[in-house]
Amino acid sequence: MKRVLTFIIFLVTMISLAFQPLTSFAEDNTDSTNTLAETKMTLNYLCNSDTVILTATLRIRKGDIIFGLENASIEFTASNGSISKVLGQSKTDQEGKAVYQITAAGLPADKDGMVAYTSNYTGNVKYLEAEASISAKPAKIRLSFSIEDSIRILKVTATQENEKGETVPIPSENMIIYTPRLFSLLKIGEIDLDENGTGTLEFPKNIVGDTLGNLMVVAQIEEHDQFGFVRDQNMINWGVHKQYYQAEVPSRELWTPIAPLWMIITLIIMLVGVWAHYVYAVYELIMIKRLSKKDKPLF
Amino acid sequence: MELQNKDPLQVFAPQLERTSIQGYVWIVFLLVVIGIGFYAFLQQVYLGHEVTGMRDNVVWGVYIVNFIFFMGISYAGALISGTLHLFKTAWRKPVIRMAEFITIIALLIGPCFILLCIGRLDKLHYLVIFGRIQSPITWDVIAISTDIFGCFIFLYLSVLRDIARLRDYELLQLPNWRKKLYNVLSLGYTGTPEQQKRLNRATDIMAAMVIAIAIIVYSVLAWIFSVTLQPGWHSTIFGPYFVIAAVYSGSAVLIVCMWVFRRVYHLEAYITKKHFVAVGVIMLVLAAFFGYFTFSDYLTKWYGSEKNDELLIQLLFKEFYWEFLFSNYVGVLLPLLVVGIAKLRTITNITITAVIVVLALWLNRYIIVVPTLESPYLPIQESRAEWLNYSATWVEWSLTAAGVAVFCLLFTLASKFVTIIPVDGLQVEEKKEDVLV
Repeated sequence: MKRVLTFIIFLVTMISLAFQPLTSFAEDNTDSTNTLAETKMTLNYLCNSDTVILTATLRIRKGDIIFGLENASIEFTASNGSISKVLGQSKTDQEGKAVYQITAAGLPADKDGMVAYTSNYTGNVKYLEAEASISAKPAKIRLSFSIEDSIRILKVTATQENEKGETVPIPSENMIIYTPRLFSLLKIGEIDLDENGTGTLEFPKNIVGDTLGNLMVVAQIEEHDQFGFVRDQNMINWGVHKQYYQAEVPSRELWTPIAPLWMIITLIIMLVGVWAHYVYAVYELIMIKRLSKKDKPLF
Repeated sequence: MELQNKDPLQVFAPQLERTSIQGYVWIVFLLVVIGIGFYAFLQQVYLGHEVTGMRDNVVWGVYIVNFIFFMGISYAGALISGTLHLFKTAWRKPVIRMAEFITIIALLIGPCFILLCIGRLDKLHYLVIFGRIQSPITWDVIAISTDIFGCFIFLYLSVLRDIARLRDYELLQLPNWRKKLYNVLSLGYTGTPEQQKRLNRATDIMAAMVIAIAIIVYSVLAWIFSVTLQPGWHSTIFGPYFVIAAVYSGSAVLIVCMWVFRRVYHLEAYITKKHFVAVGVIMLVLAAFFGYFTFSDYLTKWYGSEKNDELLIQLLFKEFYWEFLFSNYVGVLLPLLVVGIAKLRTITNITITAVIVVLALWLNRYIIVVPTLESPYLPIQESRAEWLNYSATWVEWSLTAAGVAVFCLLFTLASKFVTIIPVDGLQVEEKKEDVLV
């Protein structure tokens, strides 16, 4: 007994020493010194029509995994270097995202029209403070649709305001055209704007819309040094009408209501095979019972 | 020599006729544990699964581990008893009834843990109404219900001779209702050549069937895991791996049962060292197979260096280090050494090893289920830090203890109803030492 216990203790010790991860000691030290969880914030900017949408994402690190911090209060400010204006506050959702919307007009801008946006989390006893900032100049995109000689033309115009407050075109920029699908945006094409800030695209005829053929068309200037993300969208009845087909013969697949035939046949063979033996065993028991009525006892 | 001349029923009569004070204390203790489990169950029903440690990420916990564990020892009981019966193994008599009891009792308890996992028990019947054959859950429901019927028939066929003997043994002092019950259940079996022939035929067929069904049903259980694209589960060897793990844990539980009943009912003359070594050797062989499958499974995952498999293996060697070590190293190497080395091969040592194997195999199922769910392929939407890791609550531990208590209680009651060793054709073991020379 003692020999076995000694042997077990020895075995466990040897194996545990052999396989003890070397990194674990270092990690323990790190954990013991850091009392506040590390936080990280990113700020995204989008100018959609006349509205600026600021999205701050606040994340915390737990071990190797990063999570969004929920219900944290984020303060958004806009400044031009000398004047700073608090825009407001917003709370993060379960993914750690706080969204704030404001009209583009009236924001403090520098002489080039640039506005510096800042999102700030003050932190608390568990989490460190975090801050993120981004600068962008308000811009605007306008979409228009026309048909020329049976060809569907999408026309886009991008504009900005100059220092005098006048609307002027954004020349020679690249714009991407999308249509929203179930999970993400489907790219339809790209347009290079001319010196007047306009460009056209021959709209494809084979994109599926809803049952009435309606399509949402989105035009975006993306990750621009000066304008950031600028977007506009509009609905047009240029899509192929979506139709739901009823198959004449129901499909037998893994995911359909009716199982594949091979599966049903296999199941039936197995169940019949097993239950037939059960029935036979029960039949033998019944016969044993019947035999008892006519046989003499043996013991 | 004195025992050899005695009718075995005379030896087993006290076991069937009366219960000692210690026996009653044991039963009351088990009922108290079951009562606590029932209270925990009511808490879960009224307050919901929030009282458990299961959350959006880790949707399966200790309950599913218990389910796999109990189903495993059940199938092991079926496989061992069926094989011993079919091959007419010479030493089978003292252990085969225990293996049969393990089969049925564990089979009744295992599925209860699945019911505890289900959040909406009121919609349980939807499984039948809307069940799809393509779903492995449906396969499992069909397989387990089929297995329960088969195991009941096999157990009944196995105990029929003993029930007939108990019916006819006049010296047995039992209440009338029990005598009447024996009379009904014996089906008028008197051991005529024709009855024996039919009984043997039916028992042989059912022995073969329970082996086949046990393999199929436990493979189906393994497929519930392996057909999903989860890291650590999506493995082609999971079916045979689960079957081997099941028989391995079952052989260990059988050794523990043998030791307990040998001590409690003083069956030293019937359950000898030879039997412990014989079942121990089965355990040794299965330990080698289990070790081989485990190594093969983890080696291919590690060598493939697929991102999520790597993360899982890192998790196993970091957060689950001790559990992994205990289940996959100690649980494999210990039986090989204790049963393999002649000097260490004693009844006590084999039993201690069996207890460690039972715990190791339970942990093995735990580290199959939980770490995988803690490292899913897809980032789950709206996940929270507190949902990532699983930790079982008192409710889950209470219900686990209640499951074990029900197992012990049913085993105790079953041993009071029929003899724990088949008395028909039973002989006292001659004094022969080690079967392994």
